[in-house]
Amino acid sequence: MSLLADIVVILLNGLQQGAIYVLLAVGLSIILGTLKFVNFAHGALYLLGTYAGLFVALSVPLSNGKLQEWGFTSFGLDWGFFAALVLVPLVVFVAGLLMERFLARSFYDRPDTDQILVTFGLAIVVQELFRVLFGSNSLPFEQPERILSVGSFAGIPVSGPVALPIVGNFPQWRLWVIGITAVLVLLVYVLVEFTDFGLVVRAGTRDAEMVRLLGIKITRPYIVVFGIGAALAGIAGVVGGPLNVVNPTIGTNILVPAFLTVVIGGVGSIAGAVLGGVIFGLATATLVAFAPAWSQVGLYAIAAIVLLTRPQGLLGDEEVAP
Amino acid sequence: MSEKTDTATASTDTTTSTKSETAFGGSLSERWEQLRGREGTVVGLTAIFVAVFPWLFARAPVISDFVQGYQSLATLILIWGIFAIGFDLLLGYTGLLSFGHAAFWGGAAYASGIVAKNVSGDPIVMVVSGTLFAVLLAWVLGFLSLRRGGIYFAILTLAFAQMMYFMAASPLAFLTNGENGLTGVEVGSLFGMIHLEADIPAFGGMLLGTWLYAFVGLFFVGAVAVAYRILNSPYGMVFRAIRENEQRAEFVGLNVWRYKLMAFIISGAFAGVAGSLFTIHGSYVPLQSLFWTESGDIVVMTVLGGAGSMFGPVLGVGLYLYVENIVSTIQALTIPFTDIVLIKDFGFYWHLLLGAIFLVVVWVVPDGLWGILSRIREFVSAKLGGDR
Amino acid sequence: MPLLETENLVKEFGGLVATDDVNLTVEEDERVSVIGPNGAGKSTLINLITRRLDPTSGDIRFKGESIVGLDPHEVVQLGVSKSFQTASIFPDLTVKENAEIAALAAERGAFGFEFLKHRNSLTDVHEVARDTLDSVGLLDRSDTVATDLPYGDKRRLEIGIALASEPDLLLMDEPTAGMSPEETKSTVELIEQVKREHGLTFVLVEHDMEIVFSVSDRIVVLSRGGIIAEGTPDEIRGNEAVQEAYLGGVEL
Repeated sequence: MSLLADIVVILLNGLQQGAIYVLLAVGLSIILGTLKFVNFAHGALYLLGTYAGLFVALSVPLSNGKLQEWGFTSFGLDWGFFAALVLVPLVVFVAGLLMERFLARSFYDRPDTDQILVTFGLAIVVQELFRVLFGSNSLPFEQPERILSVGSFAGIPVSGPVALPIVGNFPQWRLWVIGITAVLVLLVYVLVEFTDFGLVVRAGTRDAEMVRLLGIKITRPYIVVFGIGAALAGIAGVVGGPLNVVNPTIGTNILVPAFLTVVIGGVGSIAGAVLGGVIFGLATATLVAFAPAWSQVGLYAIAAIVLLTRPQGLLGDEEVAP
Repeated sequence: MSEKTDTATASTDTTTSTKSETAFGGSLSERWEQLRGREGTVVGLTAIFVAVFPWLFARAPVISDFVQGYQSLATLILIWGIFAIGFDLLLGYTGLLSFGHAAFWGGAAYASGIVAKNVSGDPIVMVVSGTLFAVLLAWVLGFLSLRRGGIYFAILTLAFAQMMYFMAASPLAFLTNGENGLTGVEVGSLFGMIHLEADIPAFGGMLLGTWLYAFVGLFFVGAVAVAYRILNSPYGMVFRAIRENEQRAEFVGLNVWRYKLMAFIISGAFAGVAGSLFTIHGSYVPLQSLFWTESGDIVVMTVLGGAGSMFGPVLGVGLYLYVENIVSTIQALTIPFTDIVLIKDFGFYWHLLLGAIFLVVVWVVPDGLWGILSRIREFVSAKLGGDR
Repeated sequence: MPLLETENLVKEFGGLVATDDVNLTVEEDERVSVIGPNGAGKSTLINLITRRLDPTSGDIRFKGESIVGLDPHEVVQLGVSKSFQTASIFPDLTVKENAEIAALAAERGAFGFEFLKHRNSLTDVHEVARDTLDSVGLLDRSDTVATDLPYGDKRRLEIGIALASEPDLLLMDEPTAGMSPEETKSTVELIEQVKREHGLTFVLVEHDMEIVFSVSDRIVVLSRGGIIAEGTPDEIRGNEAVQEAYLGGVEL
């Protein structure tokens, strides 16, 4: 392969890697920016998304965990991937609403430290629940053959290689991940920038006190913000699941890079979250290609450098940052 | 390290006591004596606890059968106890939540292990070198992480600690042995004659068990003494002032930033002592010791027991390690003295159980189990007082 | 040499000029009040002097030396103390400990390494703390946890904390904000008493005209960030520009 082809492959791999971070970071960022709520359980929503996606899309054999002990030999509805892409965000959206209503809301007026502690506790509980039910072993989450495979729909093939100019064959699913992410982030961006709902959200990010004084009832937009953030994490779980191993620790493991994406991009900034995710993705892909031993270290080094030179994040607003 | 600090503490004691006696007599010096007595009492009671704990836990008739404890777990509890006491100086007293203390715990564990393999396996040398490494690292990471408050501090400490983990995992594998952890650490004998794994002869052995436990126990008592003294020094006041109202502390003329850095370094030093002892205890350093879940564990232990109290975090350590190591082996939870099984495979749920307890504690009783105990004590003494 | 001096001090937020070319001097032993309508830039001025905000341009000198470029705690160490608009205290510590922390910073400097020294041996700190509490009338409540004090007493403690650092210049940002009439009265008495006993130089920012006219030697009137008048209370009372711009014709 030519150098150009190498570069394009690294770019595509980086964008795909970054896409997962972007989906998580946009959700975290709007929650942190609007609600001033630090959600260390965001990874748990990703975890829920992955398992729910697996459940809806496929049917996999269970080899350990309580479910298997209770007599379930396989797990899943096998409705196909399109169904997962539609249903899982709804499920995780509801999970987000419940989390806002019954947990986060009692902590808005408590210090950051308490918010971190309680959501960290929730993250442990969710992770261990999944460990109890499904065991510690990894479950196989195959890349979907087709997105539409139910009923009379003509299936659109999405797995396997696709021939691209310059680079030749490239795993098709990775392109889909990038595409789905781009569409969703654009939707959220339009929602926040161009609707009344978004206006309240943005005003709340700038000055929650003022919005309250203006008499806008902010509870409902808040809970919806939380739900949207959760749904994005759920989708990240569905599209990211087939790319990595699936086990109960994926949620807590992805939380750290997701948070770093938010803070290097700038809290409350959707564009910042996208930029942060893309930088992380590209850096990781480049290092994997040229210096694999340093691939993980590089991520943290970049985060450290950005935060030390520009503490409010790349696209962060000095006055808004908490 | 602790011997040195101990003598330093003792000498400060005598100088201040003479000074205060000459400077002013009467009620103030009396109160001084009371407080000094209180400090002596705390350290003395700690020493007694350390002396009887392994016997009660692992060897006493009836009790030890019931709790199912064993010697090396008693040692491990004291080691993590030192870690937690230091962590609480930062979280409970200064109000800073670090999610990166695995860097100091694991960093010291590696440093002492690497020194043992390449320089000297003398336990004192190991503890000193591990602690020094942790202090230097805390100075650097504190300098970088304390630039911003709140969540940024938590996330930055987390990020730097993870960076250490991945450094040890791969680029530095030639030093750390990478994923397999640092194996083959040979711990030498103490003062060239005492093998730490050996049992202490006679009565001392019945109480304390091994020399290793006695060695760790000395550090534990030293840690309690030093922490207690810090909390009653100007630092203790300043730390709590920063926790209560950082802006006000700055505006009475305190250099808040440097005090925070000192709190971070001091807690890093405690973590360093504990991490070094952990290597001596296990003769092995798992890569896991640098992973962020380890930072999470110390957070959970400290908060569970009661952040902002002297002994709460140690209680939290005891509970956590007890559940992790002993409750997790329980096959089935039965109603006592019957065969009726309440929960099958009870031990399997240990981590879930701890997570749930932690969640409830953070939510409902932020001052932890120690806070609950204090309230029960107050309630009981109020009741008794009322009856009289 | 004036104790405090600002020279062509300017602070802009974005395009908004909050402090507009202010030249303020405060002589030793002088009691100066800064008044002005809402948004006149009073708090900004205080925040500039205490180094909470960086000026856009201009200089601030204390005892003849520029303090622009110092950290807030360094300014306090030089002898400028501040009491806040709200009761900024250490809520979960006792009244005594609140005063001791301030005294500690004043007596022992911004930072020290005495982390193994028992605090009971700090006799100088205890004495200053005790004197301070005595002068703000909270000595008998020494062992009360600060958060349990009534609001008026919290504000007294707040002023006590500011006094415990034994300042050469005290900046008071609306010391009676949010107080009941009785509390206001007792605070004014406190200020008068501190003025008598300590011979303190202070700058007072206040809305309540009664207080301003009774305790000040000189009054500075701010409007839209700039000084529009200054003089003795009598001069200000008669100043038409002030009545026009600020008092809106209200009889004083």
